[in-house]
Amino acid sequence: MSSPRIAVTGYGAVSGFGYGVEPLWRGLAAGRSAIRPLSRFDSTRYRTHLASEVPGAPAADRLGRLSLADRFALAAAREALAHAGLPERLDGPGAPLTGLYFGGSTGGMLESEGIFAALLAAPGGALRARDLGHLAAQPTSGPADAVARALAVGGPVQTISSACASATLAFGNALDALRTGEVDLALVGGSDSFCRLTFAGFNSLRAIDGVPCRPFRAEREGMTIGEGAAVLVLEPEERARRRGAAPRGYLVGAGAACDAHHMTAPDPRGGGILRAVRAALADAKIDADAIDFVNAHGTGTPHNDAAEASMLRELFGGRVAELPVTSSKGALGHLLGSAGAIEAIATLLCLQHGLVHPTPGDGAPDPALRLDLVVGEARSLPSARYGLSTNLAFGGANAAIVLERAG
Amino acid sequence: MSEVVVTGLGVVGPFGLGREALAQGLAIGEPRTVEVEHGGRNRPVAALLAARLTANLTALLPPGAARRMSPPARFAVAATRLALADAGLASGSDTAECGIVTGTAWGPPWVTEQLLSQILLKGPDAASPALFTESVANASAAQMALAIQARGPTQTITQRESSDLIALAEGARLIRNGRCERVLVGVVDEIVPILHSLLDRLRALARPHADRPERARPFDARRDGFLLAEGASVLVLESLRAARARGATVLCRVHAAVAAFDPSAPAHDWGSGGIALATTLRHGLESREVATSEIDRIISGASGSRRGDRLEAAVLSALWNGRELPPVVAPKGTSGEYGGGFLAAAILALAGSPIAAPAGFEKIDPELGVRPHAGPLPRPKRALVSALSAGGTAAWAVLGEP
Repeated sequence: MSSPRIAVTGYGAVSGFGYGVEPLWRGLAAGRSAIRPLSRFDSTRYRTHLASEVPGAPAADRLGRLSLADRFALAAAREALAHAGLPERLDGPGAPLTGLYFGGSTGGMLESEGIFAALLAAPGGALRARDLGHLAAQPTSGPADAVARALAVGGPVQTISSACASATLAFGNALDALRTGEVDLALVGGSDSFCRLTFAGFNSLRAIDGVPCRPFRAEREGMTIGEGAAVLVLEPEERARRRGAAPRGYLVGAGAACDAHHMTAPDPRGGGILRAVRAALADAKIDADAIDFVNAHGTGTPHNDAAEASMLRELFGGRVAELPVTSSKGALGHLLGSAGAIEAIATLLCLQHGLVHPTPGDGAPDPALRLDLVVGEARSLPSARYGLSTNLAFGGANAAIVLERAG
Repeated sequence: MSEVVVTGLGVVGPFGLGREALAQGLAIGEPRTVEVEHGGRNRPVAALLAARLTANLTALLPPGAARRMSPPARFAVAATRLALADAGLASGSDTAECGIVTGTAWGPPWVTEQLLSQILLKGPDAASPALFTESVANASAAQMALAIQARGPTQTITQRESSDLIALAEGARLIRNGRCERVLVGVVDEIVPILHSLLDRLRALARPHADRPERARPFDARRDGFLLAEGASVLVLESLRAARARGATVLCRVHAAVAAFDPSAPAHDWGSGGIALATTLRHGLESREVATSEIDRIISGASGSRRGDRLEAAVLSALWNGRELPPVVAPKGTSGEYGGGFLAAAILALAGSPIAAPAGFEKIDPELGVRPHAGPLPRPKRALVSALSAGGTAAWAVLGEP
């Protein structure tokens, strides 16, 4: 029995460009950067001070228990449902069995840090009763749970926390669940907000650039952290068409593999991400030659970009010199656990518009990488059919997805 | 689609090292607990005990390697070595293409606490890069992969008390869909005083009373919380074809997995949507061609939680339409909550190990109407395993005899 074709019928995003997919695409297509001085918390004592911060924050809930990451996730999920022509709640008679597949790295860590700081300062370290509910409401699964609760999701809910590959891995699980009919509809996404732990942690590794990140540039020195959320609605194409929803694109393949090389450094030859991409291509039943452009992980760290470029050269051979490569992180920063979700939307938007968005960042592309990096202006690619999106993570986790243009 | 079987089990937990140690503990039904040392901070607490790991891991993990790992990563790597030995597999040659799926409720809280203390008390420049590296939830999976040079797909599920069965489901799916021939499924958690204190203050933990000792009492009328546990369990999953080809001993089969969500649940407690959960579970079982009449054992995730056990009973009652349930065992009364003991207990039960009624059970709760089975039982042919989470997630698996 052949498995159904899985369509993307809606999406929503929260990013440094603001709330919604429209400002996201305007910013990406224009080659703007959303990287600015960090204001979410006082960064005076940190080694670096830049980030891609979401402007403003959604209103807090009545009990004040939703973290910022929860609220980003809810905003993105509601936009995605509306975009897909679905109601605000997914329960009731005839409702599709919906699964929620989320990637995330820190959940409500930002809020937990505030409570932990108060705990450290309090005599005897006693927890105040008021804080208990807040702290208990901030597990890593918090954003997924908050979305599932608000939207009345009745099917599987899972949070994948495999660092920066989390959301991309979530696509693989959702794709398999949709193909086998385990769920009728899937919401896939991720959400992360800034927190001191990751900002200090990546600075301690000297992995953050002092200027806005410069993916694949010769002078690159590290990443810039971003925050935000993205949610996509996936369903079998036949089901989408039955309810009159137009596919915005297709998720045709997903793959994953582990480096087993080092806890933080990628395999310098990109062996793990190469296996992940090959698995995604095999899953999509297409050859590497069919890929029209790549939305790379492209963090701007010297090691990641070199490993990824090595993988691309190995995979595409001589064609790599003219295969457009972009990195959304040049504009949005690194959204960590949710990076794969917003980059999937960016990839779909590129396919829809027949344009590959440029990669902001100072300096010339690193000639040693031998990539055709899209810089300056968006590259017109009206016949593009397949886009590849990749993510690499701490612990050697690698994941890739292949997206196809609708129509 | 490939049929999926379990061919190895490694356990590192409060009862010691190896699956036999846990099996002996479950057969007796008496939890192995110690008092949690709070060091004057985060007191007062009402609950004093937890099921902590006290065994020395040196034989499984050289100190030089252990120094670079968070506590849960140590547990997971040690359990991995035991699981591979149990399955008759060699690290490296037999694991190069292996996938790894881990589940954890809390990630690495000791590392997180240390790192936050550095940042908040001494300033961000004091943050240790080594600690930060181990602070990610997938650190255990990564250390497992490094230890056995496993280069297949890897992912870490963090969905509270359901993480174990979701990890099992995703591991089985990788094999069923042909993405892997062999997958290690690991479940791991550690106890730190602040977590113990937090759960105690939320009244999630069992506590002592004047007339009865501190015990988790799944389904008991006088239950007042669960027993916090730590450790790791690692399962070796293979396609039946691969297991047969190498003559492996099969511990059990993984027939089906179903998951659902209860939107009535608040963020830190169980909800009341038992009927809706049962409806989703019933449809899920039917679509996987599993009839409730075939299920001859329920390996319940009831932990002694007031609301959690009530929801569990409601789901079971609705699933069986009020008819008499098959024999119910509730190993969390002995193994505790978290740390992999529950999933390991389910595998052991299918492999023929007895699971005694937890020593804390005294009085049936008439509202629930479920009594953990006491006395010998035949080896189950097909068991329903359940894991309902605070916060709303629910996961089930159907395991079968070899």
